[in-house]
Amino acid sequence: MDVITIDNVCKNYKSKKALDNVCLAIKQGELFGLLGVNGAGKTTLIKILCGLTKKTSGTVTINNFNLDKDIDKIKEIIDISPQETSVANNLTVKENLEFFANIYSNNDASTINEIVDIFNLNEVLNQRAKTLSGGYKRRLSIAIALISKPQILFLDEPTLGLDVFARRELWTIIKKLKNSITIILTSHYLEEIENLCDRVAILSNGKLLHTGTIDDIKQATGSNNFEDAFVKIVEGQYE
Amino acid sequence: MNKILNFTKRNLKEVLRDPIIYIFCLGFPVAMFLLFFTINKYSNGNTPMFEVNSLLPGIIVFSYSFVMLSLSLSVSKDKETFFLKRLFSSPMKPYQFILGYFLVGLFIGLLQTIVCIIAGFVISLISNVGFVSVGKILLLIVSQLPILVTNIFLGILFGTIFNDKSAPGICSVFISLAGILGGCWMPIETMGGFEAFCRFLPFYPSVYIGRIITNATNALGITYSFNNVASLGLIAISLFMIFSIVFTIVAFKKNMVSDK
Repeated sequence: MDVITIDNVCKNYKSKKALDNVCLAIKQGELFGLLGVNGAGKTTLIKILCGLTKKTSGTVTINNFNLDKDIDKIKEIIDISPQETSVANNLTVKENLEFFANIYSNNDASTINEIVDIFNLNEVLNQRAKTLSGGYKRRLSIAIALISKPQILFLDEPTLGLDVFARRELWTIIKKLKNSITIILTSHYLEEIENLCDRVAILSNGKLLHTGTIDDIKQATGSNNFEDAFVKIVEGQYE
Repeated sequence: MNKILNFTKRNLKEVLRDPIIYIFCLGFPVAMFLLFFTINKYSNGNTPMFEVNSLLPGIIVFSYSFVMLSLSLSVSKDKETFFLKRLFSSPMKPYQFILGYFLVGLFIGLLQTIVCIIAGFVISLISNVGFVSVGKILLLIVSQLPILVTNIFLGILFGTIFNDKSAPGICSVFISLAGILGGCWMPIETMGGFEAFCRFLPFYPSVYIGRIITNATNALGITYSFNNVASLGLIAISLFMIFSIVFTIVAFKKNMVSDK
């Protein structure tokens, strides 16, 4: 069952086309990757789906709710971990989690404890967010996004700026979440997409160039590895 | 209501854990009080606007401009760190965000008022002059609420429109305006046409009304009384307050769904 359908979505910033007639369907429980180089339109698409930016044209349906008419209902079932580690810096890790839990009227202490365990945040629980390392901040940012128990989770460049160990730790956590919720993940790290995603959409200059599984994409482009396949698609060597 | 209180609690913690509030919002008004008290002490009574009853409303109005600075920093930082963007994708409504910031501003403003009153009381004891009665103190607090509300909403507005680098700059212009055009420590009543101009801004009428309540004497040696400066001033203060509220709501709502 498709949980998100994107139909001919366009987004123009003055003369620039950030999204050009994008059509996409994302299935329930899928870990779906949006892949593209910088400026491809990944973040713009996520912002539109979260109601943070208005699309110029097109239709979006999330869990059968129309984005234009039912944004309040959509906000109840989605959450986002933005590209920036947007946490309350002067609050402790625990206070951050409690604050966001209260926003969603989810005061259940067991949910917070469960998330603290999943993200291994116990040792920094009473530490202020501004004193955390980049890896812990990212973990906290994603943990916050899960506190509302969303049906759909948007992870915008979740491992941006992290070292290889912190990145792999986060991959393990994201893999644990697989199948329980629908995750839409943007990244320009090919190995990240290859490791985590069930299906991938490749965007370039606001256009959706290809959608499919990693194997489909490799097969369709006649490439042995995903990087070659991605380059062929983005450079237009494959239609 | 729970969401508003939850957001207020978070904002208050953020503000109280930032040293800037103790330096600017609480320390600075007290330092100003001490400075003008010292000047008055050594001027042999030639500076009636620096008498404690005249100074108190002026410093209260001036200190509220630091509430504006503090809130503009809070909002602009939340915006720059994308903390607000993240919250904009939550089910919170625009009025809940605005009230969450407003209540923090109200708390800081009232705390500043109490600090200013205590400082004034201590100075009145040291200089052996009579201080304002408790009833008049309460009336003074209520009379200054419109200018406090104006400053709070301007703080939210500047934080919404500008980034965390430019918002403090804009606020410093308003801080200077509040000090100079409010007549907090300048005998505006002796400046003819300039005084007439200041009547149309919210600062001077607020200080003027405060001085009526504290029975202060102006630079010409005349006690402040309820005249057309006060009555026209009430209209100016009300208009500025309404405009600041309306502009803030419009700007904040627009910022919630934007291309930035």
